Amino acid sequence: MNALDYVVLAVALLGIAAYGIWRTRGRQDFNTYLKGASGTHWLVIGLSVMATQASAITFLSTPGQGYESGLGFVQNYFGAPLALIVIAAVFLPIYRRLNVYTAYEYLGLRFDPKTRLLGAGLFLLQRGLGAGITIYAPAIVLSTVMGWRLDATIVCSGLVVVAYTVAGGSAAVNLTQKYQIGVIFAGMVAAFLVLVARLPAGLTAADALALAGGFHRLEAVDFSLNVDRRYTVWSGVLGGMFLALSYFGTDQSQVQRYLSGGSLRESRLGLMFNAVFKIPMQFFILLLGVLIFVFYQFERPPVFFNRAAWERAAEHGAGGRLRALESDFSAAHAQERAQIDAWLAARHAGDRPAEAAARAALLEAHGRGTAAREQTKQALGGAGSRATANDADYVFITFILDHLPHGLIGLLVTAFFAAALSSKAGELNALGSTTTVDFYRHIVRREATDAHYVTASKWFTAFWGFVAIGFALFAHLAENLIQAVNILGSVFYGVVLGLFLVAFFLKRIGGTAVFWAALASQGLVFALYANLSISYLWYNVIGCAACVALSAALQVAIGMAGARAPQAP
Amino acid sequence: MKPPADDEDTGLPGLRTWGRVYLAVGVVFVAWVGLLAALTRMFP
Repeated sequence: MNALDYVVLAVALLGIAAYGIWRTRGRQDFNTYLKGASGTHWLVIGLSVMATQASAITFLSTPGQGYESGLGFVQNYFGAPLALIVIAAVFLPIYRRLNVYTAYEYLGLRFDPKTRLLGAGLFLLQRGLGAGITIYAPAIVLSTVMGWRLDATIVCSGLVVVAYTVAGGSAAVNLTQKYQIGVIFAGMVAAFLVLVARLPAGLTAADALALAGGFHRLEAVDFSLNVDRRYTVWSGVLGGMFLALSYFGTDQSQVQRYLSGGSLRESRLGLMFNAVFKIPMQFFILLLGVLIFVFYQFERPPVFFNRAAWERAAEHGAGGRLRALESDFSAAHAQERAQIDAWLAARHAGDRPAEAAARAALLEAHGRGTAAREQTKQALGGAGSRATANDADYVFITFILDHLPHGLIGLLVTAFFAAALSSKAGELNALGSTTTVDFYRHIVRREATDAHYVTASKWFTAFWGFVAIGFALFAHLAENLIQAVNILGSVFYGVVLGLFLVAFFLKRIGGTAVFWAALASQGLVFALYANLSISYLWYNVIGCAACVALSAALQVAIGMAGARAPQAP
Repeated sequence: MKPPADDEDTGLPGLRTWGRVYLAVGVVFVAWVGLLAALTRMFP
């Protein structure tokens, strides 16, 4: 990055944050602080919902998934449109009619205080941990690649988001997210255009897609019934729908975003905006990764994308082995490059046998390169590198730094930070609101002025901000970052969704039955997660189904016990 | 659950009821899955 890039980064990020603070200054009304301005337009709500969900990890890590595994990850989002329809039709009217600040208030009204606290507690536990990941994930990648200090990156980005979220509350979050998502989209589209422009001159779009397809990077849908596969249409539609129902319907970081609408119509349209654009957005980001893969068939990529980790290991005794593997990788890539030319020539000439032969030779050379990459990862692990064996998170940022012009590099890095701040702000806002409404106002201080609760909410928001910064400073992740966030969500979300589904649809079940059923179901999910290797999306289904079924069984048992109990004289 | 009367109108041309809006979103979803399935088959 040069001075121009840093200017773009500083002006855009600090400018948006300062604008959010300035526009929302002096607002002490509790309702506005928690729900935002009452006249919020549906497009702002839609962008806010999108910005909260799409964190920096989405934009940093997803192209790496496309590069490594192709488009299959898009299936993870197949359940989202269906879930959003259910939320808009069923959940949302109830939340708005009851005029609740948090989703968990509804559990208290429907069941009892302990079930409300259980729902709110599970949210704080899950989202509090997740908040650390959201701030840590972009910081580890960007600090490694840029040579910045990790702790300084975490603390600086964390303090910026804490400042404007505490100062302006929900209104500031909505306002800043609108501009942040604009920066993100501008950056991603710019990266896409530069990438397309840098592909070889004679390569047509059909050639690029055929090349990607030849390496199985365009397998977007998989209809197989194998539950061991991480992404299939069925796990995406069913598991993804449960995950999305729970996330969008019961996670306060999302509920708070769409409750800020001036009317039910604005909130519903905001959700429908996401139902329409969620899949194309994820497809576009994955396609970007696939095209980066195509680009690197013509331009030699690094053998390991986390170059800093590679160099550290090379300096600490593994240099000979790593350089030999890099040489193998280069030789394999050169052969692959030659075979691509032969394959393209045969394809353009319509010579099918030559095309098939070139493709077989191409895949063989690619296999040798992949083997060298795998051995490099093993060598890095053997050298005691703290870097994860998965370098997919570094693919996109490496491409940006190596191949984009200055100014655009600054825009893209700004986009990653904007994404980190926007999702972080939504989370902190929700954590602060839930702590204030469901714990402080409900248990500690029932009667106080609006100003008192606004002040309390600011303190709790700041508290969670510092917890997230602290967690991020000591976090160390072993897997692809976006998967880590989704896995964490899936372990908790199913049970929380079960609580809400019982509340909405099974009117005969009471608080005691659902409370103990939820605790037992959460224990069951933990036990299964520790012992099974099924796709994590299924834990949403299992947790939810267990909670609903156990609630019904317990309610029957409670009813029978009540009928047998001796009557008071 | 019936929404309040002032929220009945979606304000969208051609999609005057929420049922039609949900149906349209569902059709868009099916179209996307179909397009992705076609892409998968076209470039195996």
